[in-house]
Amino acid sequence: MFALGRWWTQYGFKATLATLAIAVALWSRSTHGAFFYEAYHWLTRPLQPGMSREQRFENSYILELQQRLVELESQNRALQASAGYQPILPSKSLRATVIGRAADHWWQHIILNRGSQDGVKPGYVVTGLGGLVGRVVEVSPQTSRVLLVSDLTSRIGARISRSRVMGVVRGQSNHQLVMEFFDKLPDVKPGDVVTTSAYSRLFPENIPLGRVESMTSNQGTAPEATIQLSAPLPILEWVIIQPFQPLPSIDLPEVAQPGVDGSSRPQQP
Amino acid sequence: MTSTAPSAPFWRRPWFTSSLVTVVSALLCLLLLPARIPGFELLGVSPHWVLIWVVAWSVKRTLWEGAIAGLVMGLLQDSMTANHPTHSLGLIVVAVLTAKLQKQRYIQEDLISVALIVFAMAVVAETVLALQITLDQLFNAQSLYPMVPKIWFYHQRVALSSAILSSVWAPALYYPMNRLWQVTLAKP
Repeated sequence: MFALGRWWTQYGFKATLATLAIAVALWSRSTHGAFFYEAYHWLTRPLQPGMSREQRFENSYILELQQRLVELESQNRALQASAGYQPILPSKSLRATVIGRAADHWWQHIILNRGSQDGVKPGYVVTGLGGLVGRVVEVSPQTSRVLLVSDLTSRIGARISRSRVMGVVRGQSNHQLVMEFFDKLPDVKPGDVVTTSAYSRLFPENIPLGRVESMTSNQGTAPEATIQLSAPLPILEWVIIQPFQPLPSIDLPEVAQPGVDGSSRPQQP
Repeated sequence: MTSTAPSAPFWRRPWFTSSLVTVVSALLCLLLLPARIPGFELLGVSPHWVLIWVVAWSVKRTLWEGAIAGLVMGLLQDSMTANHPTHSLGLIVVAVLTAKLQKQRYIQEDLISVALIVFAMAVVAETVLALQITLDQLFNAQSLYPMVPKIWFYHQRVALSSAILSSVWAPALYYPMNRLWQVTLAKP
């Protein structure tokens, strides 16, 4: 008892401080760093880019294109209804500024200036000029954290647009992705466009990813393609957040391939 | 504590100033992590501010103080990225090694040696992270990480750029922190 008392008089203050510091760290961990990202958002607010004159012109052009697209989509919908397709309606999307990047060297994240106050939820899909960027993994009131498609842990079900060959795309922490195919001899050529496929549970179908740059087929079992991302991930400033509900399972029109998106064989209803 | 302590208001007392320096510098380092300031980058990698802070803290402190700072800063960095792989493990190792170095008095304490320590410790921290990822890849059946050679190829790139950049910026952070801690704690 005496020893304990002596220890306390000697180290009590330090021990209290250490406990306090650890408690703060654990609290921050349980809130996924919301405090730091809110503070970061507040501090960098004057530095966040506004819209330039050029961007405004570009915006109005995009608006015009969107309006034309609405017209075309309504025509398309009528056609798809007759062909028995499931129509995919465009949902309300949100523009956001990239205000930060990953807080370490291994993850490939971007931080956006929109959060749960703007209605952003984890699982929402983020696209930029050029194609798919990633998906929201964490939100704080005014910021959200996006896991980029180039992250080492990212896996997306993808498809070659021309030949409809399916595969899985993996990030490599740089500007290129690697696509693995299920077929031994896939019909893939350099220059082919790659989009997300219907197998992807975490992303909607038909979002462009990039182009095939080269093929390596000397690895024996599964051939691989190197894909150049079309979205300029390292210099992104603006992105679009699209609401999306990740699917627990999907109905497949053809024979299911196991292993896509890390899932087991999807179930038929 | 000190001769001036009883009469001075609390914000002029040494313990208050040094705690303020500690908390503000730690916050600053954490808030610098997501920023990519032009000119601070090498191959898409920015300086490891938290690591510089942990080294600056541990250089003149005991092993336990260093280890706890490493744990706390690691948990805070985890909260800003993801819980696995944890950064605390690497930062604890870094803090303990730095505290040990100082004890043996092999290295004179000045700005150049701090830069050298940071260079070595940046490599250590990235290696601990890469080891965790490798273990996950090898023993977790549902691991999403790529094959082991790719992890270590990436590790090489990250460790080198992180070490170079962090050691370049280490004195800029260490010098003011060390001065302020010294001024406040070494008063008669």
